[in-house]
Amino acid sequence: MKIPPARLIQVMIGKALLETIFVAALALGFRATAFPPTFHGWGEIDTSQRAVAGWAVDSANPWSRVEVQLVVDDQLVATQVASLSRPDVAKAGWSRDEWHGYAFKLPSLKQGTHEAKVFAIHQSADRYTMQLLGAPVPFSVNGDGVVTGSPVRSR
Amino acid sequence: MADTLRSETWPIGRRAIASWEITSVMVSCLVAEWTVTALSGGSKVLMAIPVGFALALMLVSHVSYGETLKDLGFRLDNFLPACRLLLLPTVVVIAGILLTGWFLRGGMPAVSLLRPRLTLVPLWALFQQYALQGYLNRRAQIALGPGWTSVALVGILFSLVHFPNLFLCFLTLLGGLIWAFAYQRQPNLFALAISHTVASISIAVAIPLPYINGLRVGFKYFG
Repeated sequence: MKIPPARLIQVMIGKALLETIFVAALALGFRATAFPPTFHGWGEIDTSQRAVAGWAVDSANPWSRVEVQLVVDDQLVATQVASLSRPDVAKAGWSRDEWHGYAFKLPSLKQGTHEAKVFAIHQSADRYTMQLLGAPVPFSVNGDGVVTGSPVRSR
Repeated sequence: MADTLRSETWPIGRRAIASWEITSVMVSCLVAEWTVTALSGGSKVLMAIPVGFALALMLVSHVSYGETLKDLGFRLDNFLPACRLLLLPTVVVIAGILLTGWFLRGGMPAVSLLRPRLTLVPLWALFQQYALQGYLNRRAQIALGPGWTSVALVGILFSLVHFPNLFLCFLTLLGGLIWAFAYQRQPNLFALAISHTVASISIAVAIPLPYINGLRVGFKYFG
């Protein structure tokens, strides 16, 4: 026997530690690339237009347009690229130009309370991930189909 | 079994160490198949890291036990007896695979299904048999003793790394049991690799891809 058993045990402990560090690094790398903390946005109910409107910016790529998805009551409603004019966003310093707005027309909904969520779609390698922009937007629909809601904070 | 595995100079915790070794190598395989594939999108470079850890451990372990290549099964002196031992079960299993394929496909497979990449199967089969028998089977014999318990453990471990492809899990359990049984009687990795190659090619050619999901295992099974 050229290597004593104690050395074999040390090698196994070392391997376990290295493997743990490797998996932890992999998980952190995945978190950073798949869910980068660079997406910012705002969403609110536009009662006059019966829409969910807001803006979305990727501060890592300030000139790029962010693809956003509207989900109402956990059902996908629509996807679009946030490229409408929002001069207030650029003026507030969130973006370099004003073309970061979005507006989703709400579908026909039953009377009652609902919840809208707007997600930024991000592609890393060959996978897509979704990041919630801001907080869920609660709103109500009355018997006449009139929508009322409240704005949410940006992130 | 080689005399090195019966050495009385090993300390009391020899069985525990062997069990730990088996667990450690299996963890590396499962990390490569599941964690790396899921988190890196299947990067082969990253996948090689846990596999490298496992191979390094296996190498150190062989040196620790004083095992030679001949002990592991890289030998020719028992090649023909090992082939004779494997011939009947391999023929029976391949016949079963071809009949299953015939039934599922409704006819014999086209020759064009013999893709060029299948030429790498013998090397891959030899590597798998080395890891499965030359390492895991030998450590299983230390942990549980030679016989059906260690043979069953090897079969289950081989099946486990093919999860969640249930069709392959079943076939690899069967193959793992046969090869582990044969290795404990005639430890020859070349004969086992031939049997493994023929069985793998039979599956790839005879069984329609949807049933084996393109031979995908681990997290890649879902992709």
